[in-house]
Amino acid sequence: MVHYIGLLLDDVRFSAIKGTGLEEKLTTLFGGQIKSLVLEVPEELSKKILAEFPNARIDSRSYLEDLPVAFKRALFNEVVEKKTLGTEVIEAVFQKMDEIKELAAKESEYIPPPDIDTSEI
Amino acid sequence: MVLLRTPPPHGGNIVDRVVRNPDRAKKMADGCVAFDIKPTLLDGVPIRNVYREIVSICYGFFSPVEGSMVRNEVERVLEERRLLSEWIFPYPLVFDVTEEDYKNLGVGEGDRLLLRLKGQPFAVLDIDEIYKIDPVDIATRTFGTPEKNPEVVRVPFDEKHPGYMIYRSLNPVVIAGKYTIINEPKFRDPYNKFWFPPAKCREEFKKKGWRTAIAHQTRNVPHVGHEALMKNAAYTGDIEPCNGILVNAIIGAKRRGDYPDEAILEGHSAVNRFGYIKPERHMVTFTLWDMRYGNPIESLLHGIIRQNMGCTHHMFGRDHAAVGEYYDMYATQILWRDGIPSFGFEAPPNEVDYGLKIIPQNMAEFWYCPKCGEMAYSQTCGHEKEKQKLSGSFIRGMVAEGIFPPNVIMRPEVYKAIVKWWKVYGYPFVNPKYLAEKDKTLEIDVPPMEVNLKR
Repeated sequence: MVHYIGLLLDDVRFSAIKGTGLEEKLTTLFGGQIKSLVLEVPEELSKKILAEFPNARIDSRSYLEDLPVAFKRALFNEVVEKKTLGTEVIEAVFQKMDEIKELAAKESEYIPPPDIDTSEI
Repeated sequence: MVLLRTPPPHGGNIVDRVVRNPDRAKKMADGCVAFDIKPTLLDGVPIRNVYREIVSICYGFFSPVEGSMVRNEVERVLEERRLLSEWIFPYPLVFDVTEEDYKNLGVGEGDRLLLRLKGQPFAVLDIDEIYKIDPVDIATRTFGTPEKNPEVVRVPFDEKHPGYMIYRSLNPVVIAGKYTIINEPKFRDPYNKFWFPPAKCREEFKKKGWRTAIAHQTRNVPHVGHEALMKNAAYTGDIEPCNGILVNAIIGAKRRGDYPDEAILEGHSAVNRFGYIKPERHMVTFTLWDMRYGNPIESLLHGIIRQNMGCTHHMFGRDHAAVGEYYDMYATQILWRDGIPSFGFEAPPNEVDYGLKIIPQNMAEFWYCPKCGEMAYSQTCGHEKEKQKLSGSFIRGMVAEGIFPPNVIMRPEVYKAIVKWWKVYGYPFVNPKYLAEKDKTLEIDVPPMEVNLKR
């Protein structure tokens, strides 16, 4: 069974893919309010990913979720560098797994909050 | 057509075991042996604190239960989901201690035990019985097995199930008897804003003019799918839609990856404060309880709590109060539609003697339909191929990456409630630091109180 990883694009990420040809592979969700790139993940690879990150899970849409931010950032960087959504991107990220897991471990302690005004709450 | 009215409390009366007169409270504690309440730990992590059960019992959320259950009552609950008084009740509730603590206490049947919390006198337990339990047996029978409960239990419960582990981690000695709170706790901010025990909640319904109200169970920050569920489920009622929607959050031991309790409460509150459902029609409250994730069994407790709070209806979704795939994903809906004989219900719990009066509203899911251009009900929308599901994990990923969710997924003020508490704890979700902090502070403070203990 194929699973998926969605990479959400904010303005910064959207400008990073301009000119790579990936713009044509953009998926929009929720009435166009969210842009994302979707990678297909063969079952063998998704098992490998789940084994690396115990908190990760497959949601009701068959998407791999609760992946470390560090993993998704590395994945996006590889997508931009290789200009593809193919499985070679995931393989490349696996080459950097030690470094990613080190960053992911820190993520369980602290993630800087966004700089937005919450005084009305 | 018969107009619905606020139902009576389960068992007939709201339990109120809180002594508010300080002189009387001190007299009750005088000469007692004292015991400091300890959390139930699993690998050093708190998974339950019995103080939450004591508060929920004494303020009437679990009416008609009045204390830690005697052995025969535990057995009856496990076998038939009924108390000795015949009223249905889903879970064994016990005050458990270690053998060593029991020996050191030196108390027996007929004695009164003073329970301290955060170093202060908090409640007393009038001892009716002391007995031993086998925690593995209790845990297994509480949730059921595929062999004994084939209608809904799919796989045996194990150490990955948080509720099963709560029961399996109980201490072997149970001290049974009625609890009485003798030193009223003060809820910390923001819990104090949402504290509506059943008697107060029923008064609030009267003030609001709510004849009918539908309960929404939550342990999550609301996204727009939850909002659509609440709005649409509330169209049930009698001659008109329900007058009110009661959000009742279950507050207690958390799992890593959950949102902090404070963000859950203030996130739901933002839904009415900012008019997505107007406050005249929507109210946020909580119940202290370390969730057992017992799906159909848990739904019975939810029905009892919310009926005691005054609700006429309760919405139940797929995978209600579930974790993993231990139960059929529709187990709760099966219970409330047909009953589950192996758990003691030949008919739905609101159609049996000494059962509940609350009316179930089984709901399917909501998704975003790009063709309809709105949140759509799965049983109504004809664009299944185009559906876009709102998954909690998907939204958590978005939050963790610092992406402001669009309005169609999460209201901006709800997201800001998450960020407000993210700034406090340095993390948007429950992590070990949050768990340690929560174990220390709990949800309450206990005022200083002088009592004369037994020497």
